[in-house]
Amino acid sequence: MKPQTEKFKELARENMSDGTQRAMLKLFPPLLKQLRDASFQDLGEEAAMEKGRRIREDAVRDLPYLLERFEDEVTKAGAKVVWARDGKEANDFILSLAKEKGCRICVKGKSMVSEEISLREALVESGIETYETDLGEFIIQLAERPPFHIVGPAINMTVKEVSDLFHEKIGSPETEDANELGGYARQFLRDKFQNADLGITGVNIAVAETGSIFLVENEGNIRYSTSGPKVHVALMGIEKVVATFTDAVHMLKLLTRSCMGMAITKYVSVINGPRKKGENDGPEELYIVILDNGRSRIYADEMLRSSLQCIKCGLCSGVCPIYATVGGYTYGWVYSGPIGAVLNPLLLGLDRARDLYHATTLCGACNRYCPAGVDLRGILLDLRAKEMTGNKTFGAKRPSLFHRLFIRFWSWALLSTFLYNMGSIAARVLTAPFVRGGKLLWMPGFSGWMKARDLPRFAPKTFHRLFAQMNEQR
Amino acid sequence: MKGVALFVPCLIDQFLPEIGFAVVKVLQKLGVEFTYDQRQTCCGQPLVNAGDSAGARRVAKRFISIFEKSDYIVAPSGSCIHTVKEQYLRLLADDPKWYQRAEKVSERAYEFTQFLVQVLGVEEVGYRYEGKACYHESCSILRQLGISDEPKQLLNNVAGLEMNPLKDADICCGFGGEFAINYPYISEEIVREKVKNFQDADADILVLGEPGCLLNIRGYLTRHGMSGQVRHIAEILAGQEGVQA
Repeated sequence: MKPQTEKFKELARENMSDGTQRAMLKLFPPLLKQLRDASFQDLGEEAAMEKGRRIREDAVRDLPYLLERFEDEVTKAGAKVVWARDGKEANDFILSLAKEKGCRICVKGKSMVSEEISLREALVESGIETYETDLGEFIIQLAERPPFHIVGPAINMTVKEVSDLFHEKIGSPETEDANELGGYARQFLRDKFQNADLGITGVNIAVAETGSIFLVENEGNIRYSTSGPKVHVALMGIEKVVATFTDAVHMLKLLTRSCMGMAITKYVSVINGPRKKGENDGPEELYIVILDNGRSRIYADEMLRSSLQCIKCGLCSGVCPIYATVGGYTYGWVYSGPIGAVLNPLLLGLDRARDLYHATTLCGACNRYCPAGVDLRGILLDLRAKEMTGNKTFGAKRPSLFHRLFIRFWSWALLSTFLYNMGSIAARVLTAPFVRGGKLLWMPGFSGWMKARDLPRFAPKTFHRLFAQMNEQR
Repeated sequence: MKGVALFVPCLIDQFLPEIGFAVVKVLQKLGVEFTYDQRQTCCGQPLVNAGDSAGARRVAKRFISIFEKSDYIVAPSGSCIHTVKEQYLRLLADDPKWYQRAEKVSERAYEFTQFLVQVLGVEEVGYRYEGKACYHESCSILRQLGISDEPKQLLNNVAGLEMNPLKDADICCGFGGEFAINYPYISEEIVREKVKNFQDADADILVLGEPGCLLNIRGYLTRHGMSGQVRHIAEILAGQEGVQA
């Protein structure tokens, strides 16, 4: 997927003027949030969340050890682990494997990390027919759009839009019935599933103790992709592993509740190795590709490390006032919402995505609801600090000299009572010509604010002055 | 009660001194002796938000030197207190000596209503305020500091004041400091939603505890000629006659 993170401001305006999208964003996140709250009731929310945070924090801390253990167990189960430093290595491996095995048709389960490395595009380019089989992903593949939401990639599209799209791309009759549309997608994909010789999926949770991978879904398409084709490739970021099976089950409970407000999804596949003798289904070969792609760099930075605890439930988008206003496309790349505002800059380079970590009110709703303990608010602030110092590791470019000087003067004024008081006087004198009826008509930098909001004038005297005068009079 | 230091955040100092005096009036009514150190400026939050850790670190050290001798540091703003309580620790994490001093200050910093309820054990201040009001849960007070019952309890006990629910009271008003300046068109949409919920509520007064939210929401109301007032909780607790500022 080609990043457009530089165009944040433009994309924000464009998406905010889309009435359908705005209406949808007013309805669907609050609804999901309600379902989420209700689904947590049987679990004991606070304790369950705390346990989830601890599991993910421990797992990420012990990542190097857990990954090695995972590889050992996976190998014992008869599957192969392939390490990929970046997207190119991962794609190259999967392409050469497909070629070697003579694969022609690939069915794909939903995987954000595959979007991150443009795996589908790479497969298609090398002549392998590739189909997204998750309904939402199938829709955006046909529509050639990026995912609108981490969990619901096409949640913003209306039935009419999808009907038109299907009619044009797969020749299905037009309909206003969403279920019928699902049926057409199913019909179209059935034949692909039956003839596919390569199945590609992501991984929701990997278990170091047993070498198992968990795949979580509602449609059955992942089950089909992992049991029909003779080769199954599961792609995961290095951060997906947890220590024990029990830990994985707990994270599963949090994942389905945070994602969809469901106690459990319709399908949960736990895969241990390829088909064994005497088993009826499953692939002949299973490869688990473990991708770094910048993650070990994040791991090495203590301030940023908790971003790897993310389990991609998408709940932070659902509670974010910015996401609710600008929508998922505005984040310009694979990941959207608060986790997108953190991961997109970290994976693409801070300089290419600076609006993402500045366009936030730091309200902390994401932190409050994150089931995996990602300190999104703290990381957003840290990215700003990394920008200020021009951090090379994460591709930051320092702000303009003018901006830096402005900040520097400001900090000086806060370091001296004398300068602070002088500044207070200067602000009053300089803005005096622009005061009308107790309001400021102009202030540098505030023209945007003043389009929709009044700004009061500086109080004639500061609290400092008034309080001092009061004490003198006594 | 000894060693209570009042910290007046820069937005209140510069734009809304009446809130500072409302705090003074409430503290005096409750018989709290407090000091106001004239050297104080700002907690450095704008620098933290701008990513200027070096500048913020210097401001933090200065703040600590001024306030560390007090047993309690009280400010009518959740975001400033959060800066003192949490950000200072992060900024000074690599400097053991300063970190220790920051820890001391962090333990002693209280948001205004938190101080009244948790430290003084106050249930009601004792002034009257006539009207119907609702309470906006400012992000830094609700989530960053975990304070919600304290202000509501104080408001519920104000004679003459009827408290009614506000829809989505816990959702951000769209201020976010530099955010509202740099992304005004996004911020505007979010504050519009907040104002709409206020207009739909059975209330004439929107009460909150954060000067930033106050400037944002009040600015939107007055610009659009809408009815309703936005008040800092200290102004309500200080009673109808208000304060001389």
